[in-house]
Amino acid sequence: MSRRASGLKAWVIQRVSAIYLALFGTYLAIRFAFAAPADHAAMIAWVTTPWVAVGLLVFVPVLLAHAWVGIRDVLMDYVKPIGLRVTALSLFGLLFLASGLWAVQAIIVARIA
Amino acid sequence: MKISVYRYHPETDTKPRMQTFEVEERPGMMLREALLEIKAQDETFAFRHSCGEGVCGSDGMNVNGKNMLACVTLVADLKQPIEVRPFPGRPVIRDLVVDMTQFYEQYRNVQPYLVRKDPLPEQEILQSPEERDKLDGLYECILCGCCSTACPSFWWNPDKFHGPAALLQSWRFLADSRDQATDERLDALEGPYKLFRCHTIMNCVEVCPKGLNPTKAIGQIKDLMLEKSV
Repeated sequence: MSRRASGLKAWVIQRVSAIYLALFGTYLAIRFAFAAPADHAAMIAWVTTPWVAVGLLVFVPVLLAHAWVGIRDVLMDYVKPIGLRVTALSLFGLLFLASGLWAVQAIIVARIA
Repeated sequence: MKISVYRYHPETDTKPRMQTFEVEERPGMMLREALLEIKAQDETFAFRHSCGEGVCGSDGMNVNGKNMLACVTLVADLKQPIEVRPFPGRPVIRDLVVDMTQFYEQYRNVQPYLVRKDPLPEQEILQSPEERDKLDGLYECILCGCCSTACPSFWWNPDKFHGPAALLQSWRFLADSRDQATDERLDALEGPYKLFRCHTIMNCVEVCPKGLNPTKAIGQIKDLMLEKSV
């Protein structure tokens, strides 16, 4: 693990993704706190607005990359048995990949429909 | 005043225990002096100490839950009853004496000495006052171990993570204008463990008896690594 897994790269990904998450996350929080879409149609209309769609399409992989570095750190710190660690890393990797693809698909389908 | 100390002799005790001693407090009394009084009452009590003035770094210990040097800690400043334990996360050799081997190994790993590639000059290698100023806050470390043994990342991975004390010294030589091994030093720190287990918890900064800032030094190493790689 320590030979191959990156140190600097993971750290930079975590820092850079944090900037985007902070900015777009703030926008999402404000939007949903003060002017949340009233119904499903309004939600679709909001998601399909070009700049929101692009923002969300970037947000999903950036969020997952950030989460991946974080969960990898937690597992490296606390889970010592190598079999358990690799299993946990694989499960989280698959979970993140599936969530990401599902979210991106939802955005694209909303755009097409 | 009452002082509760950690007692453990691995060869005879099955498990550690706390033992309370009554010590008469004197004005200006340091914790080291109080521990010496305990030692006078019970000579089997073991702890390390030497200079008595915060220079040698021998009497680091965990007092009321915080790592500190006993010799520069006024007992009057401590909440009573005072609870004295060995450094957390280190194997106990006896009472307050712990095995610091891994700590010193991590220090050795960062090559804590100047590396020169050019032939050594006849005289000193000169530095400008500005270059010398960069070493302030770095060279003062006495390797007492208060920081590294307060660091959760060092508790979990003491064999792989260098820890705050060693990384402060790593930056001390990276920041030194006379050192010529910057790339080798940075290459040696790559990977997720040696440097990047630091999650800026900053316990190191809170406990350093010399008021140094290993977290800042670690941040500067990361910045330099980034600068050299893009």
